[in-house]
Amino acid sequence: MFRRSGHKDPFEHAGAVIAPDPDMALMMAKECFVRRREGDHLWVVRRSDVHSFEDESILEIAADKSYRFASAYRDVIQKREKALARAREIEHQS
Amino acid sequence: MTYEEKLARFTAKIEDGGKVETEDWMPDDYRRGVLKFIEMHANSEIMGALPERECLPSAPSLRRKMSLAAKIQDEVGHAQLLYRVAEDLGKSREAMYADLINGRSKFHNVFHYPVHHWGDVALIGWLIDGAALVTQAALRESSYAPYTRVLKRICAEEQLHLRHGEDITLELASGTDHQRWMFQDALDRWWLAIIHFFGPRSNVEKDLLLRWKVKTRTNEDLRQEFLDRYVPKIFELGFTLPTPVPFHDKSSGHWLLNEEDIDWGPLDSIKKNEGPETERRLAWRKQMYDDHRWVREAMAEPAIHVA
Repeated sequence: MFRRSGHKDPFEHAGAVIAPDPDMALMMAKECFVRRREGDHLWVVRRSDVHSFEDESILEIAADKSYRFASAYRDVIQKREKALARAREIEHQS
Repeated sequence: MTYEEKLARFTAKIEDGGKVETEDWMPDDYRRGVLKFIEMHANSEIMGALPERECLPSAPSLRRKMSLAAKIQDEVGHAQLLYRVAEDLGKSREAMYADLINGRSKFHNVFHYPVHHWGDVALIGWLIDGAALVTQAALRESSYAPYTRVLKRICAEEQLHLRHGEDITLELASGTDHQRWMFQDALDRWWLAIIHFFGPRSNVEKDLLLRWKVKTRTNEDLRQEFLDRYVPKIFELGFTLPTPVPFHDKSSGHWLLNEEDIDWGPLDSIKKNEGPETERRLAWRKQMYDDHRWVREAMAEPAIHVA
């Protein structure tokens, strides 16, 4: 069972029910998982229709791709200082 | 319920800050307006990848090349996220691709211009992504909820692109005279286009998208935020700006432009898809679309396992 808890969020897996068909599954999901307005939308998907990797280690990043992370640009303060010093040096020359 | 009753209910919901989902009832002009707006955003992400793609061979190091390639990959991904949202409003992805390559739909003005050298990568990454982030961050409050959900990821990635662009800019700014010239040259060529990027003053009375809160802020408001945030940083690094030159207004604390200094002519041509690089880039996009047809076809069929 996938549930969306508001307009800002995507659907997330939030539980499972046992039911003979989709209509009944939706009804069960509503009764079990949306008792206190936890969601404004529900999806049910047959478990056998969910696929996953046999070996989840395939999700690890294969090579150095640190430039995909903000941490690669952490030294921006020092770099800005260096650029400002260079700008002052040029101003001085002219 | 009559159409008028539905419309009154919808209007009240929007006034009240309510959000619209794909399956909700919406007036036709809302649907058309949102679709056109998101389609244009999607087109701009895909066309926006091209100028940077052109710059890849001039990357100064392997690491710079890889990080730029990763950024281009992100932009193309944004287009896919956005086409998905647009598609649900009733226009097929095929039709949107076709309208783009045949020049029947629009994409952002800045992607109609040529790139000259690596200085353009710094400028695009820092200032054009910076301008885009100002507008996209505002759109996260849009009344069309599926759009705001994809903007969450898009803005997070744009934030990274901004840091990437600033990193390259600072490298050029702290470098040799030639490196500094590269950024200055890019600034001189791009400044007017960046000012155009936000569009002319919004007509609040007539702008349906503002009225339906699909857009939440006026063009001039967004441009002002951009100027206040970036102009002091540009000057601080010792660079200069061409016409329209911003000036600091002490009483308001804002960086302002003389509106009569802004030549809107180039933007008018681009609106007709007659920008300096429009034809060439659309032809390139068409060629890629045609060349990659076999990939789309191959991906449309399940794999056949040969023993």
